[in-house]
Amino acid sequence: MPGSTVFTSIAPYIKVILDGLPETLLLTFGGFGIGLVVGPILAFMEIYGPKPLARLAAAIEEVIRGIPLLVLMFIIYFGLPELGIRLTPLPAAILAIGIRSLAYQSQIIRSAVISIPAGQWEAALSLGMSPVGAFINIIIPQAFRIAIPGLVNQFTVDLKDTSIAYAIGVAEIFTQAVHVAQVILDYLPPLLFVGLIYFVLTYTASSLASTLYRRLAIPGLGAGGVVTV
Amino acid sequence: MSDIVLRVEDLWKSFGKQTVLRGVTFTVKRGEVKVLMGPSGGGKSTLLRTINLLVRPDRGRIELEGIEVFPRPAMKINKIRERIGFVFQQFNLFMHLTALDNVRIGLIKVKKLPPEEATRRAIEALQMVGITEDLWHKYPAQLSGGQQQRVAIARAIAMKPSIILMDEPTSALDPELVGEVLKVIEELARRRTTMLIVTHELDFALEAADEIMIMDQGVIVERGTPDEILRNPKHERTRRFIERILRRQERLNTLK
Repeated sequence: MPGSTVFTSIAPYIKVILDGLPETLLLTFGGFGIGLVVGPILAFMEIYGPKPLARLAAAIEEVIRGIPLLVLMFIIYFGLPELGIRLTPLPAAILAIGIRSLAYQSQIIRSAVISIPAGQWEAALSLGMSPVGAFINIIIPQAFRIAIPGLVNQFTVDLKDTSIAYAIGVAEIFTQAVHVAQVILDYLPPLLFVGLIYFVLTYTASSLASTLYRRLAIPGLGAGGVVTV
Repeated sequence: MSDIVLRVEDLWKSFGKQTVLRGVTFTVKRGEVKVLMGPSGGGKSTLLRTINLLVRPDRGRIELEGIEVFPRPAMKINKIRERIGFVFQQFNLFMHLTALDNVRIGLIKVKKLPPEEATRRAIEALQMVGITEDLWHKYPAQLSGGQQQRVAIARAIAMKPSIILMDEPTSALDPELVGEVLKVIEELARRRTTMLIVTHELDFALEAADEIMIMDQGVIVERGTPDEILRNPKHERTRRFIERILRRQERLNTLK
């Protein structure tokens, strides 16, 4: 019955579910990390690259954003072996989440960079900065602040979507929770518990981000607002 | 001649089908203040922006202190720009930096001065434009337009450029803030800072300019000392332009 029995019934299994936490975190940080490295490269290709390169970057983004994460994961895990590329479930899932994340992060970075008025760029060049110097000293510090809320949001999306790795058998917390449910023949308690873990992780991430955001806030730079989950 | 800081010869520039500069020629000598006036859309801003190569001219020749800037820059473009101060209509202060850091950043990142030296010079420049200590650590969004533009002027003069170009430095300001900025520019003029200023402020031009050039439809149609321009305009167009400004000022004066 509900109430205290909900958690007493899974108490012995909590450790089993938490055993999936390292996998969940690996999927999250690995996937988001791939996006954080590759996303800006795509974004800069689109903004500063020659036309063909910019088009290519935009096309890559568009294609990735049009494919569901589950399909992407299946293509990588079940499809790529036919081309001789064999990945175990965890790397395959990280790659899928990373590919999806980079497409969105690229968009977040790009819109942050292009939201900075051309006058900032012109003033930097007029002082005698090289284009690279202007980019590093003037554009990046402003664009980064503008991009924080979007990047944090993407982080929480990636975090929650690690649960999709269940489909290819990665032993992350959701997979573990389902296994527990199948053992105790009761779905609600383990699912509620795993939902709580996702919530706590997500909430922690966005709270940390809000703190960072406030710390970096500069009047008039669009920072200082609330980060939404 | 080393006396000539800026030499512009037969400068042309088109944007698509529209020809904005049609053979502009003039020089600015050291310590000279030249004011560029004329109707909007006459090519004044484009002219300034070609001088520091924010806009690339189509043909002609630009020399800064005898060094070729265009068509074949004799040194790296950033080295040339370092020697040309630029003050924008919209201030363009760096939004993520305080007033002090806006002035410091060029000294540190471009001139490679040690931080203390940069701070000293930045403070000197801020004091020169009347930005007091309580404003040094404020961000641009916390400053009035007049204060922002004065910081922008400090940012330019701290670099000790050979010439400062100003593109309508008071046009984006509320009327009550125009005076404080013009006062700073007049002070620079008194100190014989070499400047080329685009402005619609006739009183200021008459007061501060060594020479006024009137530009219309991509050419300089008239040039002379403030007196010559005011009393004896050679062209009908110049006369009308000046009358229009004078009428506007009379209206403003009667309002006061």
